[in-house]
Amino acid sequence: MSVDSLVVELLSAMTTAGSLFIIAAGLTLVFGAMRIANIAHGSFYMYGAFLVSSIVSSFGGTAFWFSLAVAPMIVAAIGIVVEVTVLRRVYDKDHLTQLLATYALFLILADLGLRFWGAQSRAVPAPAILSGSVRLGVASFPIYDLFVVGAAIAVGASLWALLRFTLLGWRILAAVEDAEMLAAKGTNVRLLYTTVFALGAFLAGFGGAVIAPLQSIDTGLDASIIVAAFIVVVIGGLGSVAGAAVGAVIVGLFEALGILWTPSWAPAYIYLAMIVVLQLRPSGLFGAAETT
Amino acid sequence: MVKHLVRTGLAAVSAAMLTGSGWVVPAYGADTVAVALSTTLSGSIAEVGRTGLRGIRMALDRINAQGGLLGKQVRLVSADDGAFPANGVSNVRHMILADKAVAIFGPATSAVGTAVETVAGQYRLPVFFHMANDIQITTSNFTKYAFELVPNTVMEPRAIAYYFAENVAPKAGGKKIQIATITPNYSYGRDTVEVFLKTLKELKVNFEVVAQEFPQLGATDYTSYISALLAAHPNYVFAAIFGGDLITFTKQAQGFNFFKQTKIVGFYDQVPLRVLGQDSPDGAIGWNRAPFWAESGPGFKEFLADYRAKFHDAPSAWAITGYSAAQVWAYGVRKAGSFDADKVVGALSGATVPTIRGEITLRACDHQAEVPEFIGRVSAQIDPQYGQPIYSQTVAIAASKTMLTCAQAKSRQP
Amino acid sequence: MGQTGAPNNKSQLCAPALRVTPARVGPAQAADPVADPAQQAADPSAPPLGAPPSNPRWARQDAPVVAPMPAAWSAGHALAMLGLSTAAALAASYMLSPVWLLELQHVAALALFAVATNLLVGYGGLVSFGQAAYYGLGAYTIALAWLHFKAPFWPAFIATPLVGALSAFMVGLVALRTRKLYFALLTLAFAQLFYTVAQQQYELTNGATGIFGVGVPAALMDPQIGFLFVFAAAALAMLALWKITVSPFGLTLRAIRENRARAQSLGIDVFRHELLAFVLAGAFSALAGGLFIVHDQSAYPELLDWTKSGEPIFMLVLGGMNSFLGPALGALVYQISHEVIVQHLRDWQLVLGLVVLAIVLFMPDGIVGLFSAERWRRWLARPRSVGGGET
Repeated sequence: MSVDSLVVELLSAMTTAGSLFIIAAGLTLVFGAMRIANIAHGSFYMYGAFLVSSIVSSFGGTAFWFSLAVAPMIVAAIGIVVEVTVLRRVYDKDHLTQLLATYALFLILADLGLRFWGAQSRAVPAPAILSGSVRLGVASFPIYDLFVVGAAIAVGASLWALLRFTLLGWRILAAVEDAEMLAAKGTNVRLLYTTVFALGAFLAGFGGAVIAPLQSIDTGLDASIIVAAFIVVVIGGLGSVAGAAVGAVIVGLFEALGILWTPSWAPAYIYLAMIVVLQLRPSGLFGAAETT
Repeated sequence: MVKHLVRTGLAAVSAAMLTGSGWVVPAYGADTVAVALSTTLSGSIAEVGRTGLRGIRMALDRINAQGGLLGKQVRLVSADDGAFPANGVSNVRHMILADKAVAIFGPATSAVGTAVETVAGQYRLPVFFHMANDIQITTSNFTKYAFELVPNTVMEPRAIAYYFAENVAPKAGGKKIQIATITPNYSYGRDTVEVFLKTLKELKVNFEVVAQEFPQLGATDYTSYISALLAAHPNYVFAAIFGGDLITFTKQAQGFNFFKQTKIVGFYDQVPLRVLGQDSPDGAIGWNRAPFWAESGPGFKEFLADYRAKFHDAPSAWAITGYSAAQVWAYGVRKAGSFDADKVVGALSGATVPTIRGEITLRACDHQAEVPEFIGRVSAQIDPQYGQPIYSQTVAIAASKTMLTCAQAKSRQP
Repeated sequence: MGQTGAPNNKSQLCAPALRVTPARVGPAQAADPVADPAQQAADPSAPPLGAPPSNPRWARQDAPVVAPMPAAWSAGHALAMLGLSTAAALAASYMLSPVWLLELQHVAALALFAVATNLLVGYGGLVSFGQAAYYGLGAYTIALAWLHFKAPFWPAFIATPLVGALSAFMVGLVALRTRKLYFALLTLAFAQLFYTVAQQQYELTNGATGIFGVGVPAALMDPQIGFLFVFAAAALAMLALWKITVSPFGLTLRAIRENRARAQSLGIDVFRHELLAFVLAGAFSALAGGLFIVHDQSAYPELLDWTKSGEPIFMLVLGGMNSFLGPALGALVYQISHEVIVQHLRDWQLVLGLVVLAIVLFMPDGIVGLFSAERWRRWLARPRSVGGGET
């Protein structure tokens, strides 16, 4: 295997990692602040991709940039509706109830999506400036894939800045630590939860929007991503955004190397990675131990 | 304990009543007759199942509008199997017993197809496969009640190999052609790749296999497979990938300049070409079981216009094969003068049936329809007439060249 | 990141302590599994299996809740129940059409699957999101033995619980080192691992296509005999499971669920108890998978998929996880309504989602809970308590 193709493989792994990170970041944020393992996160991702395809097909290819911002916002709005109508009622319940509630939402959103967008497969063309490829020695690499990596880095940096420098970020981190204390100090925890959930949904929608030009957009997208997203989050440690980044890179690398070395076992690698990590650290790489 | 038992019992009775009440099948007069379709209507291959359903429904609507069959209106009962064989089986059983279905139309996936064929054999009802095409349907799993209306997994790859040997191999100038293959790990893909390579060998094509990849069915990320394929420097990549998976593969391959470095032979039928539009791989070799631009049977033009008016889309191969499947059954019923399964099967076995796809002969020995496979060059140009890309030249490879002989088929039947 | 202030932990932290107090009269115990009538059958003074001597203290503490009953009582009832259900099954097998008998075969297999899963979820408080692994392995055990060795049905069928137990043992050793959501997702990862093996190892398993027409004794192919067999096997297995839940082991398992720290401080080997529960659930789930083969004669990767793992969870929540047979009832309702809805309404996922949502939000005890006397009493009592202001 030449150096060029190894570089291409590694870059491919980073693309996988990038798209997984954008989705996993929202999932882990919601879990960290609200202790909700949101299976419907996959639905938000699918809705993001579908919304981009709707916007682009109505307003033309240049609307892609516009849709990249609008689609996640619409998804965030759906997230708010979901949080206010359903999730609020399960915060004080056990985690089985919460898991089932979000699974139920996943099922409901799947059929609603099918009703709204129909069963037709769709595709979104990448904007002209991002199509084509760059040369790397003898191999070439898609520009759009580099854009995905860039978008993931931008999401990571923005989240870091948000958590580090803003009042909202401070409150989110405080909620992760101790929500009761936060409430006692006068913060509207309800509103904070709604905000965090909307942010999580926004990120899922953004993940779907970014990935839209790389995939056939159909009604199976929700199920196709959610397990991988959970694995990334668990490897990194539930609630840790930095962990999600590391987890995404690990999963991306495992998948790429798996395909290189033992193709028929490749899809099994990410599960093995998760099992091994949890053996070494039962709460993931950056997670705190689960209390009883 | 007693309380517990009573409680559970009470709950069970009322639950049974609740669910039972939903079972009241709406009353249909003696002048209707039901046919069954359990197919995949949700999830990632929903489009395949749904367009097939449209084709069947359109054919039956037309039959009903013209006065029905033997004086009866035909009612299509349909349900989603979620690509889950056990669901397909129980759906079909219920349609047979509760709705008194007199014929079955086959599901989208081969796995469900094999399961449904078994049910059809048990209940002795004719079943028409217009999507699932596993060779087992007409061989190892064969029942005389089953009819296969599309090229099976022997005919299709053989047809592609013939096309390849005639149109592609001579241009190689005697050099060894480097071929790579990629297909998900299921019998359609495996069989197709295997038979394709085997037939090339039989046709004395000078080639070697440089890479074989087997991604997961429904994979969403092919980038690593794409770079592995390119690293092997094949002249041709044979991609037995279907529907949404092929769209995802093509879009991701594009970024790697894949189609400038190698040529692809793939399952580019109506859906991927419509979805990909101008991003379709120009010059790729595509195969298709019923391309709307090449079909020309009696009434096809009318069907095409109807379909486009109704759904604002060109019909998929599945819509077309579904329509012809319903025509085949209706022909059998009229010829037999009865809805009785054995009479209909007897009337159809060996018959030549007029459909919108032209006359289709159903071979008596294995009930395989003698239908061609269509192969051509993908053009990325949007065809102004249809609003989507089609093939620039379409060749029909006749079934007579690709079918198993009756002796071969018989030897594999139970 | 600590989570002491997390909303859901709060209730979990303080609730268990309240539940073991002797003051157990009143409606609050309706939802309490410890007051499950099934438990009355157990002799609370019997020493728990393999548990350290300090354990009976817990059992004794709980004793005032329900009057202890002689062991014969439970055996008598079990026999009565067995007789009753046998009679019902026999009657059903003559009254129902073959299509319903075939449907009920599937229901019986799924009922066992759900009841076995509830040993973990309801009794052990261990939410496994990967039980399809064992159900699927049970089916694949018979299918692969048939495919590769043309093995006869019976030895393969008898091997299913062993295969399930063995694989669950190995998975449990690893997965039970984690807790709660990590445990749920780790069991899911193992199930997905098995799923990818089934889907990708084409030479071994036929890949995504699956294995069809698995050889099953001709007699079992008859809907009536097949139904009676599947029903009897599932009923016997459930009887065994019921025995397990009311055994000292079952009680200890519940004690661990109620208050893990306390159980630990009493010297109970929590890990071993949970591992045994996991192995038992795996074994019975695999047996259910074996029964699925009798019903369907096929095995395919979707049987191992995470959505399949969700099914027994839905069933047990639907029926009521706080009663032993609730999950079986859930399986019946789930499966039959699936049949009806996919054929008449189309939007199966939407209906299922709404029903599950309604249950988790408004009726945590599932369908069985609707029929609990306490619930009605509470409901009837409500207006009076508002007006009179008792307490």
